[in-house]
Amino acid sequence: MHVYIYDSFLNKKRYEKVLARVETRITDLGLNGKISRMGLMKNITSTIANELKRGAKTIVAVGNDATVNQVINAMLSQKLGNMAIGAVPLGIIPIDKNKNSIARSLGISWEENACDVLSARRIKKLDIGTINNYCFLANARISNQATVLEISRKYTIEIIEPGEINIINLRTDERNLPEGFNVNPQDGLFELLINSHKAKRFLIALNGASANQSIFPLKKLTIINKKNQPVVIDNFAEVPTPATVNIIKQRIKIIVGKERSFI
Amino acid sequence: MFKKQNEETLIKDAETIIGPSIKIKGDFFGKGNIIVEGILEGSLKTSSGLYVGDKAKITAAIEAKDAKIGGEVKGNIKIKGYLEILATAKINGDVEALGISVAKGAFINGRLTMKTDEKESADLKKIN
Repeated sequence: MHVYIYDSFLNKKRYEKVLARVETRITDLGLNGKISRMGLMKNITSTIANELKRGAKTIVAVGNDATVNQVINAMLSQKLGNMAIGAVPLGIIPIDKNKNSIARSLGISWEENACDVLSARRIKKLDIGTINNYCFLANARISNQATVLEISRKYTIEIIEPGEINIINLRTDERNLPEGFNVNPQDGLFELLINSHKAKRFLIALNGASANQSIFPLKKLTIINKKNQPVVIDNFAEVPTPATVNIIKQRIKIIVGKERSFI
Repeated sequence: MFKKQNEETLIKDAETIIGPSIKIKGDFFGKGNIIVEGILEGSLKTSSGLYVGDKAKITAAIEAKDAKIGGEVKGNIKIKGYLEILATAKINGDVEALGISVAKGAFINGRLTMKTDEKESADLKKIN
């Protein structure tokens, strides 16, 4: 049975029409299942725990990048870990184009069109990044000011100029990597991308000057920030520093589309 | 130094890029091609190619398969294959490679050693 997890923001009236279209398409394709609407009184982790116990065959996150992140964290939480691995794939129905870079990268169309991807059931095992007790699918980022990176206790990386540190598992379109540089979310590695620039931000915007980029393929790193700035994961949750980032190879099954950013 | 096209090809082939605003301290080991444009202190080892840009500053022992060096290196360099020392290079340390080319203007303060290919010499012995 498919279990559809509706994010709490979808309770707003303006999403009624789009959800009706999605539900009609789900019925047309014979993908009917249970709908769980999140809200103040309904928590994603406990809902998913219950549904997995009841034998859900697919968990579908309906919402945006934040929904996907929360559902993945719930599916891979320690108590559920063994149950979720390998057995139950994650589907995504993105609502709202602006905050759905993960779905875009996975080749999943918007709203009711995403149901076709769900129906095709093209499943890929993807790596998952972990940072302290949280999981992320796409990326983690932090400002490089006062940040030092320690790599497997072998060497440290300091960044001399201002900019941003990105830890990328799945390439989403707003992460600017050099042309021809591929990110594979199935290889058991994440790409550490450091963008820094000598020029002021507005000069870069005006002149189109390219930032200085550094790239390292890694399995583990520790982020230390002297100003205690947090790390933002999947453009949603904040994780305090110091934080240790790891990657778990092909940890989760996800239903993807043909137009995805990897093979 | 390098034409823009060559730089783009280098970047496409590289597994690791250490940019100009990066400072690395410690032992850096890689398997793929490495580009260094920043500062590195410690040791640097890769089983593939190494490109050291003209603004790079390396204080480390270097080991690589092949290398192009255009920056400042303080430390011994050991290259299994071919080493190209560019005109902007400043090397303080011993250099060992199978084949070496040095551009006019390069500064080298150390011993240059040309290794013989072990396979090649073994083959010659067999023939003799």
